Amino acid sequence: MDMTGEYRIAAARDVVWAALNDAEVLKACIPGCQELEKTSDTEMTALVVLKIGPVKAKFKGAVELVNINAPEGYTIQGEGTGGIAGYAKGSADVALAADGDETVLTFTANANVGGKIAQLGSRLIDSTAKKLANKFFDNFHKHLSNEGPEET
Amino acid sequence: MTTVNMTVNGKAVSGNIPDNTLLSEFLRENLRLTGTHIGCDTSQCGACVVHINGMPVKSCSTLAVSLDGAEVLTIEGLTKGGKDAELHPMQVAFNDNHGLQCGFCTPGMIMTGIDMVKRYKAEGKDLTSDAIRAELEGNICRCTGYHNIVKSIEDAATKM
Amino acid sequence: MSTGIGARVKRKEDKRFTTGKGKYTDDIRNDNQAYAAFVRSTHAHANIKGIDASAALAMDGVIEVLDGHQLTGDGIGNIICGWAVTSKDGSPMNMGAWSALATSKARYVGDAIAVVIAETQAQARIAAEAVVVDYEELPAIAHVMKAMAEDAPNIHENAPGNLIYDWELGDEALADAGLASATHITTLDLTNNRLSPNPMEPRVAIATYDDAEEHYTLHTTSQNPHVARLLLSAFYQVAPENKLRVIAPDVGGGFGAKIYVYPEEITCLWASMRTNRSIKWTSDRSEAFLTDAHGRDHVTTAKMGFDDNHKIVGFKVDTVANLGAYMSLFSSSVPTYLYATLLSGQYNIQNLHCNVRTYYTNTVPVDAYRGAGRPEATYVMERMMETAARELDMDPAELRRINFIQTFPHQTPMLMAYDAGDFPKILEMAQDAADIAGFAARKTEAAGRGKLRGIGYSTFIEACGLAPSQAAGSLGAGVGLWESAEVRVNPVGSIEILTGSHSHGQGHETTFAQIVADRFDIPIESVSIVHGDTDKVQFGMGTYGSRSAPVGMSAVVKAMDKVEAKVKKIAAHTLEAAEEDIVIEGGQVKVAGTDKAMGWHEVGLAAYIAHNLPEGMEPGLKETAFFDPVNFSFPSGAFICEVEVDPDTGVTEIIKFTAADDFGTIINPMIVEGQVHGGVTQGIGQALLEQVVYDDDGQLLTGSYMDYTMPRAADIPFFDVSHHETPSPNNPLGVKGCGEAGAIGSPPAVINAITDAIGNNNLAMPATPQAVWRAIQATKSVAAE
Ligand code: FES
Ligand code: FES
Repeated sequence: MDMTGEYRIAAARDVVWAALNDAEVLKACIPGCQELEKTSDTEMTALVVLKIGPVKAKFKGAVELVNINAPEGYTIQGEGTGGIAGYAKGSADVALAADGDETVLTFTANANVGGKIAQLGSRLIDSTAKKLANKFFDNFHKHLSNEGPEET
Repeated sequence: MTTVNMTVNGKAVSGNIPDNTLLSEFLRENLRLTGTHIGCDTSQCGACVVHINGMPVKSCSTLAVSLDGAEVLTIEGLTKGGKDAELHPMQVAFNDNHGLQCGFCTPGMIMTGIDMVKRYKAEGKDLTSDAIRAELEGNICRCTGYHNIVKSIEDAATKM
Repeated sequence: MSTGIGARVKRKEDKRFTTGKGKYTDDIRNDNQAYAAFVRSTHAHANIKGIDASAALAMDGVIEVLDGHQLTGDGIGNIICGWAVTSKDGSPMNMGAWSALATSKARYVGDAIAVVIAETQAQARIAAEAVVVDYEELPAIAHVMKAMAEDAPNIHENAPGNLIYDWELGDEALADAGLASATHITTLDLTNNRLSPNPMEPRVAIATYDDAEEHYTLHTTSQNPHVARLLLSAFYQVAPENKLRVIAPDVGGGFGAKIYVYPEEITCLWASMRTNRSIKWTSDRSEAFLTDAHGRDHVTTAKMGFDDNHKIVGFKVDTVANLGAYMSLFSSSVPTYLYATLLSGQYNIQNLHCNVRTYYTNTVPVDAYRGAGRPEATYVMERMMETAARELDMDPAELRRINFIQTFPHQTPMLMAYDAGDFPKILEMAQDAADIAGFAARKTEAAGRGKLRGIGYSTFIEACGLAPSQAAGSLGAGVGLWESAEVRVNPVGSIEILTGSHSHGQGHETTFAQIVADRFDIPIESVSIVHGDTDKVQFGMGTYGSRSAPVGMSAVVKAMDKVEAKVKKIAAHTLEAAEEDIVIEGGQVKVAGTDKAMGWHEVGLAAYIAHNLPEGMEPGLKETAFFDPVNFSFPSGAFICEVEVDPDTGVTEIIKFTAADDFGTIINPMIVEGQVHGGVTQGIGQALLEQVVYDDDGQLLTGSYMDYTMPRAADIPFFDVSHHETPSPNNPLGVKGCGEAGAIGSPPAVINAITDAIGNNNLAMPATPQAVWRAIQATKSVAAE
């Protein structure tokens, strides 16, 4: 399932772009993210706790930035395994458009899960993925608007 | 690990068990009361139903350590045992009405059936076959098609 | 009260089950028990690049982590399909290799990759999560219609295009000619939905290696322990048969899912030897959904032609069947010899042809589930008849009657020679019981309440009593399908019956005892049944395909014949009378017409004391027999389902379900009715509720009772069950078998009733409220156009 969204951020495009490339910012905004470490300019390792339906698991995995086209956008993709809970992966194409002092961020995201998490939580995957994607961009929006991300 | 004391089928028992031990595990593995069965892992099938302080409960979804001091009744406790021990009317009714085939769901069905008959009697309500079917919402049987289970409970209700 | 044949004897086995004293496999715990947990593929299709068990091995209580390379390295053989089906071009079926633990490639979500052995079950399960498998994901096939696509990924190297076989039965030229001559042709596209058998007891295996004796014992949830031992020995190379004992204690339902030897039993046996520990594995329900063989999953196009007299003049069926990621034990036979052979139904059809293609997909292996092939055939046939009747504007019962086979034996063009039956009679019985005459009034009354009432028929036949060994062999079966029995009369006259049949809910301890009590006129309490243990019972073939009564009981009868002959000889000798004059009755063996008699127990004693036996007679009183049927048995039935649909919600209520069956001779009507209730309920489950769903990546989405809808008490009505007995001439008791009829006959009756109610024939199973509601909307929009 593809999810799309749009946010208007009261910050210049360069600022938004820098934030999108800042591991600390990403860590603060990815829902359930407990660890995020840069291993190169575009690669990070992550530990994320996800709960889908009755299954709650720690996903260890990698986050990578590809299709980088500074400062207009990139694709952020992540993939993690949670033991027998299965795996989760997702990606989002993020585009930034300058609009005066502000920036319009649009995204198209998709998510996939497999293993037990798909078996037991299938009914909830679409809605959970949507929630997680929105949460991330919400957090990001708030972060740049200096409201700080919500506790997840 | 936590020490838990409870009464199971009239006998005082205790165990020093990991906190995440389910009542079903405690009964089956610690007490070796294997009449309580596990048919699922999402609390849907009712094969594991026992009575706690007189209420029917799915033992697969109850933590044993939360039951300190509780009275637990399992399928094994319905009759005294021994050669000529009298069976509970619900047990007799299941035999009389062919209310079981493979027997795997049976302990849960019998424990659920006993509770529903008692409850309806206490409330002065009529336990119709439709009511029995609705009350069996949490119990799955794959063998009998429920026909004879409903008949068994109807029959037992006249004898309890 | 009589306890003989035909009596409603209450079950002897119930006391232990109603008091919680049943002994199921999971109730067994050996000294020093260790536990297994499996590492399973989370991908539907992936290369396995590596397995890192180091973290798991370091965890508390972990004894060993074993993988497929070690397993195959120890010479454990691949899992096989035991029924060879040949394609119409003469080529053999393409059986892909199935190792109990996958080595290089995982082919479905749930495919076992490694096993963790630990001191407790919890430790094993936690450690299994810590085993890291390095996957290289491959594109997956989740649906059979995608398996045949040009660009479909290849699942097994030796199955190009994922095709397992392309097989046919019948005469295509004749069928085409018949259709060409028809004045009316009905065409239908049908899907037979994929199901999960779901016996309430999940599978369990406890394997125990005895290093001193180099001997293995396997306690397992099996419908056929001897077949399991044969496979484990001869094909999977676990141990020679004399070093392997397989015990299937009380088994909590099977429905086909417990016929097969699965990777877990093989792995536990082998791991027991590797670790020198007794290894126990208990499936949880999630694992059962992921690994127990599924059933059905056919896609079919069928065409039937009628002449001016509404007689069927041609019938062509084209079916595509999904066999999953690997070929399970009987998988090849289900959509072929158990399916196409029954496509003549109860009807006289001469021009018939069926083509079947089977494919691999990245899903759980598909095999026999209650009915196995025959429900699929019946669904095609009976949806077809009802549809044709509507198109021809005829009474559906009348169209059936016109085409019924009237004389027996009847040879169909699809290999089968029907033994006996009276189809018009059972249809009439069902119609009377269902009060067809009053239906129009009930429909009007329902309409007054805003409800849509409909009625649907299904008149079906099945082949049971698997199977004449020679015939089965000529069709590709790897084994003979006879059954064995030993009748052991003890010195004090009590009797043990050792049977290769296996009871997992069918009540053999009662019905098998009934036929013995009936024959020797002794109390049923003095007869015990021994089954389910390869050390106690001579070889046997187990219970599936409604075979225990027609085949298993017949073996008991044959052994009883031998016992009776010896009893009469001993009595004649002792009582100084002629053998022909000896009769057995009332617990006595007597000389007819005199008061000379011996007690039944005295004959037993005489046989064992052996002080005074006829010249040359061996002591003892115990006889063994093997019964190999000369033909299948053919139970038939007429089912009528009456439903009420709420047009606003699409919710279907089954108002009445009437089943009239011909099972031949009935041993215990109470048990037979119970089998019908259970079978029909599974059929209603298929028609209304159940369906296994995979997403496009091959992830199983219906993996628990939250998403896979099991029939519950409130979904199911009381049943009206009646019987008409035309005894089968092919076995000594005249029995036909009753275990599967309900599941075979009921789905089309339900769908025929709903489609009748809503006036839209285009409705697939499961007819969930949403599906029914959509079908109703579709008719509305057509009407509006
Ligand atoms: S085992 Fe408790 S509800 Fe299924
Ligand atoms: S009797 Fe087998 S599940 Fe109910």
